[in-house]
Amino acid sequence: MATSLAPIALLVSCIWAQQPTEFEVEAAFLMNFARFVEWPASAFPDSNSPFTVCILGKDPFGRALDDLLAGQTVGQRNVAVRRLAEGPAHACQMVFFGGPKSATRAVLESLGPGVLTVGDGDTFLREGGMIAFVLDNRRVRFDINQALAEKNELKLSSRLLTVARSVQK
Amino acid sequence: MLARFCRFLPALLLISVLQADPQPNPAGHGPQSLKNLTLEQLSAIEVTSPSKEPTPAMRSPVAIFVITGDDIRRSGATTIPDALRLAPGVEVARIDGSKWSIGIRGFGTRLSRDVLVLIDGRTVYTPLFAGTYWEVQDTLLEDIDRIEVIRGPGGTIWGPNAVDGVINIITKNTKDTQGIFASAGGGNVEQGFANVRYGGDNGDGLTYRAYFKGFTRGPEHHSDGDNFDDWRGVQAGFRMDWTDQAHDEFTVSGDAYKQEDGEGVSLSTYVPPLTESLDGNAQLSGANALFRWKRTISDGNDIQIEAYYDRTNRHEPNLAEDRDTVDVDYVQRTKLSSRQELMYGAEGRLSDGRFSEVASGLVFFPIHRLDHLVSGFVEDDITLVNDKLLLTAGSKILDTNYTSVGFEPSVRLLWTPTNNQSLWASYTHALRTPSDSEEDFYLSSFLGVGGGLNEFARFSANKYFAPEQLNGYELGYRMLIAKNLYVDIASYYNHYHDLFSEDVVGPLLLETTLPFLVPVQPPLHILLPAQFRNDIHGYTKGVEVAPEWRPTNFWRLRGSYSFLHMNLEQSPAPGAIGLGTAGTTGSSPQHEGDVDSSFDIGKRLQLDLVYRYVSALPAVHAPAYSTGDARIAWRFTPLLEFSVAGQNLFQPFHIEYGADPGLPVAVARSVYATLAWRSK
Repeated sequence: MATSLAPIALLVSCIWAQQPTEFEVEAAFLMNFARFVEWPASAFPDSNSPFTVCILGKDPFGRALDDLLAGQTVGQRNVAVRRLAEGPAHACQMVFFGGPKSATRAVLESLGPGVLTVGDGDTFLREGGMIAFVLDNRRVRFDINQALAEKNELKLSSRLLTVARSVQK
Repeated sequence: MLARFCRFLPALLLISVLQADPQPNPAGHGPQSLKNLTLEQLSAIEVTSPSKEPTPAMRSPVAIFVITGDDIRRSGATTIPDALRLAPGVEVARIDGSKWSIGIRGFGTRLSRDVLVLIDGRTVYTPLFAGTYWEVQDTLLEDIDRIEVIRGPGGTIWGPNAVDGVINIITKNTKDTQGIFASAGGGNVEQGFANVRYGGDNGDGLTYRAYFKGFTRGPEHHSDGDNFDDWRGVQAGFRMDWTDQAHDEFTVSGDAYKQEDGEGVSLSTYVPPLTESLDGNAQLSGANALFRWKRTISDGNDIQIEAYYDRTNRHEPNLAEDRDTVDVDYVQRTKLSSRQELMYGAEGRLSDGRFSEVASGLVFFPIHRLDHLVSGFVEDDITLVNDKLLLTAGSKILDTNYTSVGFEPSVRLLWTPTNNQSLWASYTHALRTPSDSEEDFYLSSFLGVGGGLNEFARFSANKYFAPEQLNGYELGYRMLIAKNLYVDIASYYNHYHDLFSEDVVGPLLLETTLPFLVPVQPPLHILLPAQFRNDIHGYTKGVEVAPEWRPTNFWRLRGSYSFLHMNLEQSPAPGAIGLGTAGTTGSSPQHEGDVDSSFDIGKRLQLDLVYRYVSALPAVHAPAYSTGDARIAWRFTPLLEFSVAGQNLFQPFHIEYGADPGLPVAVARSVYATLAWRSK
C-alpha cells in the first residue's frame, strides 16, 4: 500500500509545481552576483581556495542556496557556503546578511575590501551595504551602491547595473 | 530534481505499478529551474509568499488598493474600466458597448465626476463636464505596470477634484518592456483585436518602446434589437526613458487614438422635429505628449517636473467639442531631518475648449472657454515614534477661473504597533470645482404641447454654481494574520454639502428669446425653468474589507466586500422645487462583493475564476445580479501563450446600468480567445 501511494504523491507534486518563493529567487541572484562581479586576486588566500558565500545571522534560504550552488564554479574556483552566527572569522567573498539585526553599520565597516555585502530591505544600503534586495510589485529586484563596491575593489559588470532597479554612483 | 522526475512521470508510474520498489520522495521546491534563468528573467518572476517585511500598503495611511499588471492580464479584462472591477469600493457598471458608470464610495455616473483619474501623471479629467470619458482612456494593457486605486480624498499630493478617490494608471518603465510583444484574438462580443509593441535600447541608459493596438467590439444585448453600440478604434504610442544612473531620469511619451463609438441619444430642439431619438457614431480622437524629469539630489531629496499637452476631439450625435490642455507641474521632496520629510509642489493648467452646437437642446454658451487652474500643495510627514507612529499633515491650495482660492487640508495618522499590523485614521476636506457643464450649459427637453404652444424644460447655466464640499473621516486597519493571510479593512464617513442638485426654479413662463445664440430664434414657447444648483447635502458611510489568502504556493484567493450607505437631502431655495435625491442614491449599489481565485497549474497553465455580486440600482433599472468570469491560459513555450476568457458567464445577459434612451442595454455573455507571443 505504502509503495503504491508514492507515485501518486509524485503525480500530485508534478501537477501542482510551485511558483518560487522570494528567497529562492534571491538565492539564484546570489549565484548570478558571483558571476557578474570581479573580485581582486587579493580577496582570496590562494589560487585554490574556494569562492566562499557566507550567511550571517538567520539563514532564510535553507537548502535552496546549497542546491543552486552545488557543483558550480566561479572563475575556476569551487563554491562553498558557510553559515556564521556572528562576525566572519574566515575569508568570505560574499556575505549575505540574514535576519533583522545582523546588518549594523559596525559589522559592515569591519569587513575589509574584496567582500560583496548583500542584504534585504530599503535600509540595507543606508546602513552601508552594497546590494539590497527589495520586493517590487511581487518581483525580487535589487538596488546597488556602486560607489561603495568600487571603493572596496569590486568591479560590477554593466549588465548587472542595467538590471538593477537603482544604482548609486 | 522535481522537474527531471516530472518528465519521466508516465514511465515511472508504469514502473512503480510493475515493481514494488518505493520511489524516492521528491524533496525541496524545485529551485533547479531558476538556475538557468538570466538576470533579466529573474527580475521578472512573480514570487508567492509575502516576505517578513510588511507590504508597502502597510505603511500607507490611505485606503489604497493596487491592481497589478498581472492581475489585469489574468482577469481577462480588455478595457481599463473592466480592470477596475477588481478593486474594493469601486462601483463599475457597464451602460453599453463603450460606456461605463464608475464611482468610488458612491456617486457613480457615466462621467465619474468625483474621481481624479491619471495616466502616468497626466490628468484625464475633462473640465467640460468635470469628469472622465472612460471610452478613450486606453493603452496597451500588457504594458500597464499597475493601477493604484485610492478610495477617499486621497490626500494632499493629488491634483484637484480628487474628492471620492484617485485612479492612477501607471505604465511600465521601458526598461521592463524590451523586445517584441504581439497578440491577437476575437470572440462574440470582443470581436477582434490586435496589439503589437516593440521595445529596444541604445545600450547607454536610453530605453524605448512603440506600440499599436486596434479593436472592434460588437454591440451588447438589446431586447429591442437596436444594436447601436458597436465600437472600434486604433491607438498608437511611444515612450522613451533615459537615465544617467546617477541623478537624472527623463521620460518622454505620447499617444494618439481614433475611435468610432456607436451611441444612442435623445435630442430636443426648439424647432421641429422638437424631439428625436437617434443612433449615430461618435467620432472621437485625440493625442497627448508628456515630458518628465526627475532629479535625485540625495536619499529623500528629489525634484520632479512634468509637462504635458492633451488634445481631445469629440464629435457625438448630440454635441461636439474640441479641447486643448497644457499642464506643468512641479513636486519637490526634502528631508528636513531623519524624522521629517516635507513635500511641496505647484501645478498650472490651461484648458481651451471649443464647443459646436449640434442641437439647440444641448448648448454650451459661450462656445469658447479658456479654463485655468493653479494649485499648490504642501505636505509634512513626521515620524513621531520611530517605525511606529507617523503623522502626515498638509493642504492643497486651489484657484480656478470658477472659484476663489480654496483650501483642502488633510491630516493622517498611521500607527504600526507590531510589524504585521497597522492602523490609520484621517480627516480631509476636499472640493469638486465647478465645470462648464454647470456654469455655461443649457440642457433642454421637449415636454409636449400645451395650450397650442410647445413646452420645454431647460436647465440653464448657473454662473454662481459653487464648489461641492466634502469633509471625509476615515479609519483603516491592515493585518498580516499569517505568512499567507492578509486583510485590509477601511471605513469612512463622508459628510457633503453644496452637492450638485437639479431644481425647478420658477413657475412656467412664456419665452420668446433663447438666452444663447441660435441661427433662427424659435417661436413663442412655454418654458419650465430649471437649474443645476448646490442644494443637496448629506453623508455616505461604509466599509470595505479585502482579504487575501494563499493556501498554497500555486493558489491565491482574494475577496472584497464593500458596503455603502447614502443619506442625502435636498434643501431648495425658497420658490424652487428640488427634483430629489433618489436619482443619486438609487444609482450606487449598497453591497458589492467579489471572490477571485488564481491557480498556477504546473509551469504552463493558469486558471482564474472570478465571482461578482452587485446589489440593485433602482434608479437605473438594474436589479441585483451575480455573475462570473473565467480565464484559462496555456503557455506552449515560455514565449507563446494561448488563452480563452469568458466574462459575464452566469446569464446570457444582465442589466448593470440603464442610462441610454429606450430600453436599458444589457451586458452580454462574452467569450474570446487570444494568442500572445513575445520575443523575450
